[in-house]
Amino acid sequence: MAENKEKTFVPEAGTCVPWKVKREELGEIPGNEEIVKKEWEKLEAFAYAFIWFWVQR
Amino acid sequence: MSKEKLYQERLQRYITAMECGKPDKVPIAFSVGEWAVKYTGSTLEEVYYNLDKSIEITCEVVQDLDFDIFGGGPTLWWPPMFDAMGSKLYKFPGIHLEENSQFQYMEEEYMKPEDYDDFIANPTEWLATKYLPRISEEFARPGSYRATVALIKSAAAYAIASNVMAKGWEKWTKEHGVVPSTSGFTKAPFDTLGDTLRGMKGILLDIRRRPEKVLAACEAIIPHNIAYAMIGARGDTTLPCKATLHRGAYPFLSMEHWEKFYWPSLKAVIEGLWAQGKRMYFFAEGNWTPYLEKIAELPDKSIVFIIDTTDAKKAKEILGGKFCLWGGVPTTLLTYGTPAQVKDCVKQAIDELACDGGFVLAPGGAVMSDAKRENIFAMIEAGREYGVY
Repeated sequence: MAENKEKTFVPEAGTCVPWKVKREELGEIPGNEEIVKKEWEKLEAFAYAFIWFWVQR
Repeated sequence: MSKEKLYQERLQRYITAMECGKPDKVPIAFSVGEWAVKYTGSTLEEVYYNLDKSIEITCEVVQDLDFDIFGGGPTLWWPPMFDAMGSKLYKFPGIHLEENSQFQYMEEEYMKPEDYDDFIANPTEWLATKYLPRISEEFARPGSYRATVALIKSAAAYAIASNVMAKGWEKWTKEHGVVPSTSGFTKAPFDTLGDTLRGMKGILLDIRRRPEKVLAACEAIIPHNIAYAMIGARGDTTLPCKATLHRGAYPFLSMEHWEKFYWPSLKAVIEGLWAQGKRMYFFAEGNWTPYLEKIAELPDKSIVFIIDTTDAKKAKEILGGKFCLWGGVPTTLLTYGTPAQVKDCVKQAIDELACDGGFVLAPGGAVMSDAKRENIFAMIEAGREYGVY
């Protein structure tokens, strides 16, 4: 990802880099967006849980 | 009876109790805990580090005991995940402690008073970029080789441990027919702030020196504690979400401080979860008697209330019929009592708390490693003897 395309945002609860942010950065995508989005969001949830794990002992 | 049928029977018993109904029998719940390590002749280090062994020894215990609802094995976390980050949060047997020491939590002010505004503005980013480097020796310099490797290893360990434990739960449920007590985990926002971020000393100073920051931080944490619970539960709403409530017990806070700082954001988390159909396993460790009237304001059936040292009769009087009550056997009795005393205690608990349903017989808190084997058997045997409706 080109650095100048990186957005500033506050992720909603349950997300780290929400798909809607990433989607804007990507611009046009030639494939099936839903497939990519679904898997992106699974990893989002995993990363979010990993980050918050450290304060939810 | 097949294990599947047994599982379904026990699940129905649990669901009926959570709905404040009267099942065929009083459901009995038990967590294997670190007590199992001694029971099976292992060491705590082996059980913490070797998840396969932890699952196996749990099977040995579960097959010997006739209970319905299962709180899990002796391993809360997999230490390699912490070792990879050089985590300062815990000391485990192995690297820091001898092989039969219980883990220790190293409380510090990992979040400073001047961090409040940044945390409130963007909690997830602050945790990832400021908190994690502070609590992790290997991740102290993000971007360095050591830190990059540490993060890769720890995230991998998190995934590995989650998968191994998921397989363990599958084994326990399919081969032994026990029902998990909870799915997902969360906390009161005040505890999230007070446990690992500001620490006990920090949070108690803050409620006097910067109360508005504490309230704003708790408010910022609410949606995260709802989201974290639902992600951990993988969307399940059949079982309640576990919440170990640390600083809410009386008299950690005065009534005034509890009502101002602890309760509103915890209530918001419970209501937020309940709006999605998810109950909270309200693990009221310690004494919550003074707060029972406030807790009764929650939506009916939105929690399962765990009685530890809360006055059980008052809990029944104020919360009975509104929420499922859970407990009845003090953990100290399992350590220091006799089987006859345990049996009497179970009979009294069932007589007083289970009479019209909505009750799960269980130890009131975590069963410690020094609990007597004969007392645990006595609790379960008495539960089956007296717990028939």
